[in-house]
Amino acid sequence: MKGGRLVLGVVLLSAVLLSLMVGQVMLTPADLWAGLWGGTGPGALTMRVLRGPSTLTALGLGAVLGISGAIFQILLRNPLAAPDVMGFTSSAGLAVLLGVTAGVTVPMPLLSAAGGLAAAVIVAVLSMRRDGSLATLTLILVGIGVAFFASAAGSFLMTRLPPEQAAEAQRWLTGSLAARNWGHAAQVLGFGALLSLALALQVRNLALLELGDELAAGLGLRVDRARRRLAATGVLFAAAGVAVAGPVPFVALMAAPLGARLTGARGPAARILAAAAAGAAITVLADLAARSLVPGLQLPVGVMTGIFGAPYLLWLLAREMEAGDL
Amino acid sequence: MRAVAGVALVLMAAAALTLGVGVRPASLTEIWQALTAFDPADPVHVAVGSIRLPRLVAGIIAGAALGMAGTVMQALTRNPLADPGLLGVNSGAAFAIVFGALIFGRSDAGLMAALAFPGAALAAMAVFALGGGLRGDAGPVRLTLSGTAINALLLSLVSAVVLVRGETLEILRFWVVGSLSQAGARPLAAMGLAVVLGTALAMAIAPRLEALSLGATLARGLGTRVGRVQFGALVAVTLMTGAAVAVAGPIVFVGLIVPPIARRIGGHVLRVELLLSALLGATLLLLADTAGRLVLAPAEIRVGIMTALIGAPVFVLIARRLRPGASA
Repeated sequence: MKGGRLVLGVVLLSAVLLSLMVGQVMLTPADLWAGLWGGTGPGALTMRVLRGPSTLTALGLGAVLGISGAIFQILLRNPLAAPDVMGFTSSAGLAVLLGVTAGVTVPMPLLSAAGGLAAAVIVAVLSMRRDGSLATLTLILVGIGVAFFASAAGSFLMTRLPPEQAAEAQRWLTGSLAARNWGHAAQVLGFGALLSLALALQVRNLALLELGDELAAGLGLRVDRARRRLAATGVLFAAAGVAVAGPVPFVALMAAPLGARLTGARGPAARILAAAAAGAAITVLADLAARSLVPGLQLPVGVMTGIFGAPYLLWLLAREMEAGDL
Repeated sequence: MRAVAGVALVLMAAAALTLGVGVRPASLTEIWQALTAFDPADPVHVAVGSIRLPRLVAGIIAGAALGMAGTVMQALTRNPLADPGLLGVNSGAAFAIVFGALIFGRSDAGLMAALAFPGAALAAMAVFALGGGLRGDAGPVRLTLSGTAINALLLSLVSAVVLVRGETLEILRFWVVGSLSQAGARPLAAMGLAVVLGTALAMAIAPRLEALSLGATLARGLGTRVGRVQFGALVAVTLMTGAAVAVAGPIVFVGLIVPPIARRIGGHVLRVELLLSALLGATLLLLADTAGRLVLAPAEIRVGIMTALIGAPVFVLIARRLRPGASA
């Protein structure tokens, strides 16, 4: 489906362009082009200070979340197995919130990664059967339990905070792209690039694991180690996104199936790339909707992805139910 | 019946703790005096009679209702993870409250409770139906994820409204997390009546629900009208869940924790299980509330947060024991 790839590319590009053009001041592509190269017009302010950095952050955020979702969905062979469903992103957000309220000086990406990895280890250990095996649905259920705990702990922290800190705290519980600057964009894209290198080295393992554990082991793969490393990479991708915008829900869940459906991609590498593009498009569009639906007010992007993503999850459940997989 | 008497004794101890613990501690004799010979001039009597007594009543109503609603839901779905709180009660109540405040432009406690009741009940029913509950095959993963999806959708809409209309935030603060602290302002008598009605209905259909748990086909063969029993169970759950939310705000996990304990100490007769669930639910909620008042005293942790912090690990424990791959 070459056409599908083209469609996805066009959607992503137009999403970015629209996101740059639409706002309190409407701009034409010509304004943007002029602003990109210098000058002091409205285009320059928008491109360099306001919409430019936040759109780029949204792009990077969507891409890393999409990749993270694709890794887990391929690894666990289940479309419900996304880092947001299993509580990794909300735990990463909780870790950042804890760090911010406790006033520690550890950088946010480290806090976020620590929270996400801790949640993943807890979920894996708690789901393990006596014989050391793991069932995907148990992982998902236990993950939901961990997400419940993270959200209860988050509510508890919120009630302990003074009002002026509560607004900032809300970001780490719902996900928001308000007031993101070039530093945030560079951070998420930089970490995303580094992690993509790490992932590129493991794509072959992912393809082998998809064939089934026994076949992969027969082909010489150390199955458990490969799976642990891939899961850690997936968690880190999600954590890189959470560190700049909080746990934006459902992007990781939706991106890979949407990307695969549009492009018809089959192999893990192609599906991961499609997921990155689809995740980026979803996030940029959700951010655009969050900024422009209510004039003069910026809703958090997490609110928009929640409103779009929840019906998708319900649809997915209904479909799995018809297929008898649940 | 020894089990019932034992749990009743524990509940009485929890009630005494609820009345006795606080900034002005009261001894058992003082509690007795405050209840029998109330003296408005005595500050301890005022604390016990006017502040802690409504709290106790609200805790008993909400705890008993949630415990029984959980038991009915688990019997109906044959799913040990079914809990009204997980099925969208929080978000349903919050959604109704916020949109009600937006539409009616006022926010007195009576109106809010009147809105929370149908909001909570409707959301729980929607999750239940979408999760396959009406077909009697609501697997744990499906039901839980339907709840997650509905919660996410409604809470996203709520955040959007709250951000657009800032004045609704203050109203919402109580309704996002359950608490017994404002019990005095809530319609306790009406909601108590709703719980009594729900209990009567649940007790009446309990034998037929048990037949249903053998499987719909077999139950039909035994002469049970499946659709009617399911509808009755849903009405009972709705009455009890709505009442609990109206008096205490949204509280999760009581309906999850209580039924397995009731089954363990009382056996598998549904009527006994319901009775034990009511007593245990009230006990759990009162103890959680008292603990929430003590841990960070003089500050107070809301009981909704306490039950969530206790309940999430229990949820994980139950999820671990399930073999959803095989049985769901």
